[in-house]
Amino acid sequence: MDKNVFALEMRNVTKAFPGTIAVKNVDFAVKPGEVHALIGENGAGKSTLMKMIAGSFNDYTGEIFINGEPVNLYTPSISKEKGIEMIYQELSLAKPISIAENVMAGRLPSKGKIFLDMKKLYQDTKLRLKRVGLDYLDPKQKVEEISQHEAQLVEIAKALGNNPRILVMDEPTSALSREEVILLFDIIKKLKEEGDLSIIYISHHLPEIFEVADRVTVLRDGNRIATENIEDVTTEQLIEMMVGRKMQAMFAEKKTHFGEERLRAEGLSRFGFFHDINFNVKSGEILGIGGLSGAGRSELARAISGVDPIDDGKLILNGEEVHFKDMGEAIKSGIAYLTEDRKSEGLFLRLSVHDNLVSVLIPEKSKYGYYNPNVGNPEVDELINTLNILPPDPEILTNSLSGGNQQKVLLGKWLATKPQVLILDEPTRGVDIGAKVLIHKTIEYMAEQGTSIILISSDLPELVGLSDRIMIMRKGHFIKEMMRSECTEKSVLLAANGEG
Amino acid sequence: MSNVSSYTRKREKSKINIVLERMGIYVIAVFLIILGTILFQEKFLSFNNFVNMLDALTLLGIVSVGLAFVIYSGHFADLSIPTVMAFSGIVAVEFLKFGFIPAILGGLVVGLLIGVVNGIVIGKIRANPVIWTLAMAYLTKGLMRWIWLNRQIYPDVKGGETKAGHMFIELYRVNLFGNVSISLVFMIILAAIGQFIFKRTKYGNQLKLIGSNFEVAKLSGIRVTKLATSTYIISALTSSIAGIFLASLGKVGAYYQGEGYDFRAVTAVVIGGMSLAGGRGSVVGVIGGVIVIGLLGNIMTLLGIDPYSQNVVTGIIFITVVGFNARSIRKLGGDDV
Repeated sequence: MDKNVFALEMRNVTKAFPGTIAVKNVDFAVKPGEVHALIGENGAGKSTLMKMIAGSFNDYTGEIFINGEPVNLYTPSISKEKGIEMIYQELSLAKPISIAENVMAGRLPSKGKIFLDMKKLYQDTKLRLKRVGLDYLDPKQKVEEISQHEAQLVEIAKALGNNPRILVMDEPTSALSREEVILLFDIIKKLKEEGDLSIIYISHHLPEIFEVADRVTVLRDGNRIATENIEDVTTEQLIEMMVGRKMQAMFAEKKTHFGEERLRAEGLSRFGFFHDINFNVKSGEILGIGGLSGAGRSELARAISGVDPIDDGKLILNGEEVHFKDMGEAIKSGIAYLTEDRKSEGLFLRLSVHDNLVSVLIPEKSKYGYYNPNVGNPEVDELINTLNILPPDPEILTNSLSGGNQQKVLLGKWLATKPQVLILDEPTRGVDIGAKVLIHKTIEYMAEQGTSIILISSDLPELVGLSDRIMIMRKGHFIKEMMRSECTEKSVLLAANGEG
Repeated sequence: MSNVSSYTRKREKSKINIVLERMGIYVIAVFLIILGTILFQEKFLSFNNFVNMLDALTLLGIVSVGLAFVIYSGHFADLSIPTVMAFSGIVAVEFLKFGFIPAILGGLVVGLLIGVVNGIVIGKIRANPVIWTLAMAYLTKGLMRWIWLNRQIYPDVKGGETKAGHMFIELYRVNLFGNVSISLVFMIILAAIGQFIFKRTKYGNQLKLIGSNFEVAKLSGIRVTKLATSTYIISALTSSIAGIFLASLGKVGAYYQGEGYDFRAVTAVVIGGMSLAGGRGSVVGVIGGVIVIGLLGNIMTLLGIDPYSQNVVTGIIFITVVGFNARSIRKLGGDDV
């Protein structure tokens, strides 16, 4: 194969969503046989670019070439046909069936077109498993019986079965231990030596990129910032490229004096999720919790707000120890928890804006079980006004709103409860810049009014810009506390990667 | 300031839409009445025909009100309705030997017990409601056939020549205000209570939320398990009431009583505008659905169509409505469908 032709080349590609341009005029090229890392903060456009390669969009603009040949990757089947295989964060293996059936899904060998050729099935699977260093596994074993790390490799074996030219791996190490990561990297190196397979490697973990990648492309706000040989850059430089702009100016100067202690956690643990968590947050203070996805931040928030049980430790609210039997009790005590995924955990998308905004208020607004659906009208109108929810129609269905306005409704739903402690889990994920600024202003305003805020965010400018103090969480532990003066996007990212 | 007034206007405008949406089924009902009048004139339009028709529908109406709670909360179906009806009926007849009141209470209690089991298994363990209630129906029917050895039992025999047996048979035949049957009064009262609960109580408004999205409701601090459980208890209660009426009407308690009520009730609820995905619809609409089913049946009977062919028609209507229902949910970009 001609080494001068790119395995994949994207020229000037753009993909817009209503209200936001996720990928702007990006050029991206992958050489045959290289491991090309793709990095950027959340919302930088990594996943949009990846989906474009996978054939998820039929309305992108720009040109894509595979081995120099122009292609339109408008459907997933076109992408597969052109030799592109994806390995997603969530494994796509069917757990209750055998490894062999998973690996060979879609091309099961048959005898006389009716019966499965079991012998050949197992032989072929063995061969494929060998390529990824799993020759010790029995192909008859069920996927649910093997480890996460083995499942990851089985997934790769499955993808390799289609003889791809390009393999896209999205955060392949997020669920693996350090030893398993090393094993995975050995396999990747072996695959690289074998031939012209190009690997696009998407990750948050910068140290890994230096171990495995040949080149790296940095995206920020939908733009390509740089493509470099890995030898030519340092971790610090990459972080600088990812973070880039100075957003501090957008955030108000912080006060340093807060009210009384509102909420305190002592040795809080939920086994398997987070351990020995200690923190306190005062009235009017914004406590940021930083860390990588999977560090246990959302699990901590769920436990504090009574959704999940606490196994050990104490939670003290306004000086008194509290035990929430369920979330309803936490809400009554003044705790509000804005969940991370507005679509599956946050909003009643098939109901109106009004119904969403009053959804948590119903018990408070009821008398002896009687509830007048119009009783919340003044609050709803006020929230629509202050949060500038567009269109300003309380009866419109929530799923017809843009992402930014949906997020404002979600915030409004919890503001309506007038919480003492407001836990925000990724409060601006996937929203346009206008909504983001408004949500930030609202958070600052709430803090000024004396609300204690716990802010979980992977958006570093947001986390650093809003927080008075940041706790860094890694693998279920608080590993570092940083005061406002020490917080920069760089220092937070270094700490979250375990290098602080 | 101009902003504020524009919300208010929009609120009112869409209220008219909501009323139209809810009352659409009554438009169909009026259409069917006109059709029936054109076809059969006064034979159809007579007061007696209407009273008879409503009478035949009251049990379906009572059952549908209870089932509406299940479907409104997003739980698709309660297929144990027929056996709850039969069980309540047969136990009531059996208990007539202890007197009238114990008989009625016994019937209600046994039905509620089935509802409690359904509710706990579906609410707490999150078993698939369709499969679980189907299994429950199978089990309870088997139990009845085993206990009563496949026999039907009669109130006039079980009650002997006592007053209880006589009262039980008269139960369904009592007329209030001249010629309005007691079961019709029951249906209207239950429907009114149901409508009030849906629209004007904390319980009903939270039911709507769990019907729209169970997980989001849970993460909004709603006690989802309790609510889900309660809907099956309510459904069992209305089925028990209907089952006792049915035993009185047929003067018999038997394991096969109530057959077909599950499907007909689901049809009434769905054509009454209640979304199978949960969270949408009203009891007023459901009663409209019951009336439309009744009018259709009445017209088909007057046309001389036999009951089995009528089932085919009802089935086709159900399939069509469910199809439209699924399509409109997809159009809405449903979140958890």
